[in-house]
Amino acid sequence: MASAAQTVPRKRALRAPTARRLRHWTLRGAAVTYLVAMIVVPVAAIITKGFSNGLDTFREAMSSPGAWAAIRLTLATSALAAIINAIFGTMLAYILVRYRFRGRAALSAIVDLPFAIPTLVTGVMLVAIYGPNTPIGKAFASVGIQLMFSKLAVLLALCVVTLPFVVRTVQPVLLELDTAEEEAAQVLGASAWKTFRSVVMPAIRPAVAAGALLAFARGLGEFGSVVFVSGNLTNRTMTAPYFIFQLTTQFKPDQAAAVATLLFAISFVLVLVTSRIVRTERKEAEA
Amino acid sequence: MRARRLGVRLLVATAAFSVVATACGGSSSDGSANPSASGPCTMAETPVLTFAAYSTPREVYGKIISAFQSKWKEEHNDQQVIFQESYGGSTTQAQNVVNGFEADVVALSLAPDVNYIEDAGLITHDWTTAPDAGMVSTSVVVLDVRPGNPKGFKDFNDIAAPGVGVLTPDPASSGGARWNIVSIYGSAMHGYAGNAEGDEAGAQELLTGVFKNVIALDKSARDSIKNFEGGNGDVAITYENEVFTAQDAGLPDEAVYPPSSVLIANPVAVVDANVDKHCVRDVAEAFVEYLHSDEAKEYYRTVGFLRPTDLAAAQAGDEEMGFPPIEDLWPVEDFGGWDALDEKLFSENGIFTQAFAAAQG
Repeated sequence: MASAAQTVPRKRALRAPTARRLRHWTLRGAAVTYLVAMIVVPVAAIITKGFSNGLDTFREAMSSPGAWAAIRLTLATSALAAIINAIFGTMLAYILVRYRFRGRAALSAIVDLPFAIPTLVTGVMLVAIYGPNTPIGKAFASVGIQLMFSKLAVLLALCVVTLPFVVRTVQPVLLELDTAEEEAAQVLGASAWKTFRSVVMPAIRPAVAAGALLAFARGLGEFGSVVFVSGNLTNRTMTAPYFIFQLTTQFKPDQAAAVATLLFAISFVLVLVTSRIVRTERKEAEA
Repeated sequence: MRARRLGVRLLVATAAFSVVATACGGSSSDGSANPSASGPCTMAETPVLTFAAYSTPREVYGKIISAFQSKWKEEHNDQQVIFQESYGGSTTQAQNVVNGFEADVVALSLAPDVNYIEDAGLITHDWTTAPDAGMVSTSVVVLDVRPGNPKGFKDFNDIAAPGVGVLTPDPASSGGARWNIVSIYGSAMHGYAGNAEGDEAGAQELLTGVFKNVIALDKSARDSIKNFEGGNGDVAITYENEVFTAQDAGLPDEAVYPPSSVLIANPVAVVDANVDKHCVRDVAEAFVEYLHSDEAKEYYRTVGFLRPTDLAAAQAGDEEMGFPPIEDLWPVEDFGGWDALDEKLFSENGIFTQAFAAAQG
């Protein structure tokens, strides 16, 4: 899709008069400058700050108590939240697109709420509903499950915060998908599940993967809600972003930068890998 | 029809998933829920103590905790005490404990945060009857200035002059910020900072002047210093230990001591409801007792740059550490304690509330 969209204007630009080409370059220059100023320069600054002494700063940061545990916890909970939201997000997108029922518009609006609510508020809200002093929290505690101030709390918060990503990436793809194939499959006697699996799923898989990836990346950096729900126990429930925050408050901005670099490097590699998978899959589908 | 069938399936799937999720959660959660809580109990073989503290003395507690662990091990047949540590903003920690974060011992930045937990019914003993009224460390309010004090600040009235850029944390979000305000008020009431002794209107005017100059209300004392380090402002109102910590980290901060300061005192307390639930009262109380010991005080002094709890000793300073004596050092009790100060300064018609409104207007 992206490559096709790029080639069309380029061909036209070649034939265009000079004034038009100039306008084209101005536009491109402005867009690139914006990207560089907003993302490339700050990211480069963080990497420089974190690794100006080679790996020493990073090693020093990772020797503070709870460092590795924090990174492991953040990776695990973000991945789990992404998987959970890939499943439920796809489900939500599917019923929002394929079914007409009362309250559909409201449901669709609710999906976006996690984007609209400041994540700090999400954290406070979760503790107010699932905290150990609430009826729900007590009910879970009676069977030995601590919802808030635990690892589970981190997972819950990330699930809430990253919920819209998969829904919103899958939805437009589903909308464009021709229902004729699905109907044909059903006419031929395929069950609803079989239809979904062999007709719908192959078409939306890249979108599901892209959405899950966004959810994962967003989860890696989540701070606001987690501060309130995790209890921030060193070595147990402290997450990587909170660990980075602690480093900055200890006057160790270079160490914070080094750990931050690790986080976004993981994120970046995953983006590359996923886009590669999606591309090969699309090529195979086209072939 | 079709929609309803899907709805049912969705419900079943959700239910099935929740079972799986909670089962996983059970193993990944901390398993600290201990339903049997009533009556006398036997402490676990390796007791686990959950400790919630404000963020500044993190490194101090790292040292103190391992020292306490070895001491306990020696005195109790090799018994290992496991600590679960949490560090965060003082008021946030207090709120978390009230909301059900099961800390056995809290070490906070100021007494009202402990009182907040007490008011929620979780601390049932009078924690102020402990040695030093429950306080383990102290500090004084200072002005953090640029190297060489280029603007020549000496006292709070100097930073109330027009054109000075002041940094101080937001008293609405940082409990610790209230120390600064109390100190400015008390200095003025004691006849310092260019004010006549006991002149309350003058004290209010001084607060207005200072807060007119505030260019950023940061969310914590540390943020103020970080902001100051970033090149903002001419002066940050902060605490002595913060400036020393910054210097220790290689930053060029310099402290100017106003002649009069409140004695900043940091409390610790056992949270009764939680130690009883976790059956760790003995070890929790022993830990708090240890925090009042000379050994712990040495850590507070050398690692945390904090002053001793004894008023006279705190006032005399510490030449070895480079802590100068303070001309006029007074505890909050001089003004009736925190409850009275909250009413006088921070209530709806409080002196600070009015000064702040005037500074904004």
